[in-house]
Amino acid sequence: MTNLRRPAAAALLLLVALPLLAVAIQALRALFDAAAWASLAGDPQWLPALGLSLWTGLASTALAWWITAWLLAQGFVRQRLGALLSGLPVMLATPHAAFAIGLVFLISPSGWILRALSPWLTGFDWPPPWPTTQDPWGLGLIVALTLKEIPFLLWTAATQLQRDDVRQRWRAEHALAQTLGYAPQRAWWRVVWPQLAPRLFWPLLAVLAYGLTVVDMALVIGPASPPTLAVLAWQWLQDADLVVNARGAVAGGVLALAVLVTALGWRALQAVAARRARRGNGQRGWRLENAVATSVRPEPVEGPTQVLASDAPGLRPLARLRTGQARRDRERLTQPKNHTRPFTSLSIGLWLLTSVYAAVLLALAVGSVAGVWRFPALWPDALTAQAWLSVWASLDTVGTTLGLALASTALALVWCVAWLEFSPRRWDQALRPLLYLPLVLPAVLWVVGLYSVALQWRLEGQWWGLLLAHTVMVLPYVLLALSPAYLGFDPRAAQLSDSLGHSRATFLWRVKWPLLRRSLVASAAVGFAVSVTQYLPTLYIGAGRFATVTTEAVTLAAGAQRSLTSAYAGLQFLLPVLAFGLAAWIGRPRRFRVASA
Amino acid sequence: MTLSVHLKQLGSAQRVLLLDLRFDVAPGEILTLMGASGSGKSSVLAAIAGTLHSVAEGAQALRFDGTITLNGTDLTPLPTARRGIGLLFQDPLLFAHMTVAENLLFAVPSGPRAQRLQQVEQALLDAELAGYGERDPATLSGGQRARVALMRALLAQPRALLLDEPFSKLDAALRDQFRTLVFDHIRAQNIPAVLVTHDAADIADPARLLELPAHA
Repeated sequence: MTNLRRPAAAALLLLVALPLLAVAIQALRALFDAAAWASLAGDPQWLPALGLSLWTGLASTALAWWITAWLLAQGFVRQRLGALLSGLPVMLATPHAAFAIGLVFLISPSGWILRALSPWLTGFDWPPPWPTTQDPWGLGLIVALTLKEIPFLLWTAATQLQRDDVRQRWRAEHALAQTLGYAPQRAWWRVVWPQLAPRLFWPLLAVLAYGLTVVDMALVIGPASPPTLAVLAWQWLQDADLVVNARGAVAGGVLALAVLVTALGWRALQAVAARRARRGNGQRGWRLENAVATSVRPEPVEGPTQVLASDAPGLRPLARLRTGQARRDRERLTQPKNHTRPFTSLSIGLWLLTSVYAAVLLALAVGSVAGVWRFPALWPDALTAQAWLSVWASLDTVGTTLGLALASTALALVWCVAWLEFSPRRWDQALRPLLYLPLVLPAVLWVVGLYSVALQWRLEGQWWGLLLAHTVMVLPYVLLALSPAYLGFDPRAAQLSDSLGHSRATFLWRVKWPLLRRSLVASAAVGFAVSVTQYLPTLYIGAGRFATVTTEAVTLAAGAQRSLTSAYAGLQFLLPVLAFGLAAWIGRPRRFRVASA
Repeated sequence: MTLSVHLKQLGSAQRVLLLDLRFDVAPGEILTLMGASGSGKSSVLAAIAGTLHSVAEGAQALRFDGTITLNGTDLTPLPTARRGIGLLFQDPLLFAHMTVAENLLFAVPSGPRAQRLQQVEQALLDAELAGYGERDPATLSGGQRARVALMRALLAQPRALLLDEPFSKLDAALRDQFRTLVFDHIRAQNIPAVLVTHDAADIADPARLLELPAHA
């Protein structure tokens, strides 16, 4: 078995590295075109567009990162990670485009928010001419990106935190830091977060690259004149003029450079932050007026005043007020599990996040059946199934979407499992940058390479070409999703199975894969969702011959057919949600007939 | 069925862990292996079980030079699954997706189903766990889990048993009971066993004690 591993891994590598490298090289070749660079330099729009891309991408990434870190801190310290993660699959499954379309229906001048406030508060009887949806500052795009990336970052963090070995160790280290006098929150930021953050580097890079280079979402909710550089590049790529096409490709190159530079900058900042967290200043993070607890162990907090104050309610209200924080911190330390204050900042944050998603989805649902809908009315004047009937009439769109998603997910999952099983760890580590290439290269540049390869291999405009395009995009996400659980699997289980005389195959089929079932189906659901939401590759490689729910939704979003747009966006949301639901059902923990004594 | 171990050298490309270690263990005998952390105790067990390659990779990868025979047969070319050597770890490592009975059944060699189930029932009886077969392993106490792990190792009918600090995570009272149970079973099955431990109280047979030298 061991001597078969390397050849098998090498074969697997070849299978994926060849197309990946071919695409990457073709994409890079488009950049060696002096005329195209000159044409870009002469264009008046590209610099402001790049500025907008950097602003929207960096602002949304930083916001999503910090909000995620903060939510995780609250969840970990209060031992409520479960609550934090329970609503995640639905948010995660919501496609970017569908989310942006729904958000537009909320915040546009004729959207639900203004309807709710008109005319009684605003005095509007007619939608105001406000630039709330495609605002020139990119604020709408930043909000949409931030809200959409928080669940993704939370979920990748969860894949780390839910590994038994990691969780137990971090819990123990967190407890140990508290025995040294650190408040629970401070202990998280000093001990747990610095270990978690570096593990989230690849997901973060994906978020950053996505934010800097997104096209479909920016088309829906981003600024229009000038647009972000990615949208500009996409418009150029679709131009009939070859010179303009080449300019689009090099604009993609500029975006790739922007991703690289900002990623390096982020790394440097993170290294500084990590060093500060390691050195620390000895502050234990107890917020008290007197420095009692900053230098001493937690126990001395229970000084005479505090005991008196908490033992005799109403006796010394001032003292009690002053020690309230200390008492809360102490409670957190001593009985974290019983800590159930109803309105924690965590529950408020979660409630906000969840309600935005709920409102967006509701807007899509109502929008898809809305007939005539006069402005200040909160509810449509008439409901109609017209939009869904037209969706039903073009069922082959759904068929194409499903077929591509299922096939590309299956291919990617099989490959990832085989790769993680057979590849030596060092190969895997060394090759991750190559395998994650589709995540970090701007989609506008990636499709240029993909298109050349598809032309060379005569796959352009073919279903097989689309399958290739989808699979190379799905694969890195599946790998990202599956790796933590798969690589974290206790190696002693294999030794044990061996020592019981079982073959490798028996071990895989009867022990390892069943135990990893939840992670396997969850990664498949992620892959499915990624394929469903592909916009650029589908349009570009499919040469316009194939329509999926995503291409339909984004194309329709530019028009005025609210109900049809909503229906396709709703469908774009529904398919991944169904996949995640199915994954949750298949991956549910086994119910033992005799649960406990 | 004597286990004979002769390791001329065990270590990685970078450093030597052990030089010229030699011992024989007769059937029913329990050899206790002691030594400081990092002295290579667990690596000796890994060499015997054939799992040395999975300990570390690259420059740290361990290998050994020598022979390991069981009843005169050379084990070194065989993969772990063909050696017939049972392992008991510090953690019981019961498979979480299987019931207690399924965990045990996983170890029973193939044969008629009724017969295999009969063996599982017998094992549950021996472990004083009759009626626990359908339980989720997570609902068992630490001592119960340890007993299931022992029974699982024995049900595979190993020709030798290796014990890697199997008592260290149990509390004192359970420890004594479980130790007695393990030793009794090894003697009853009449197979050779090697026990690695830090605790002098675990020593099975003072006459069969091997202390590995702490090295620089």
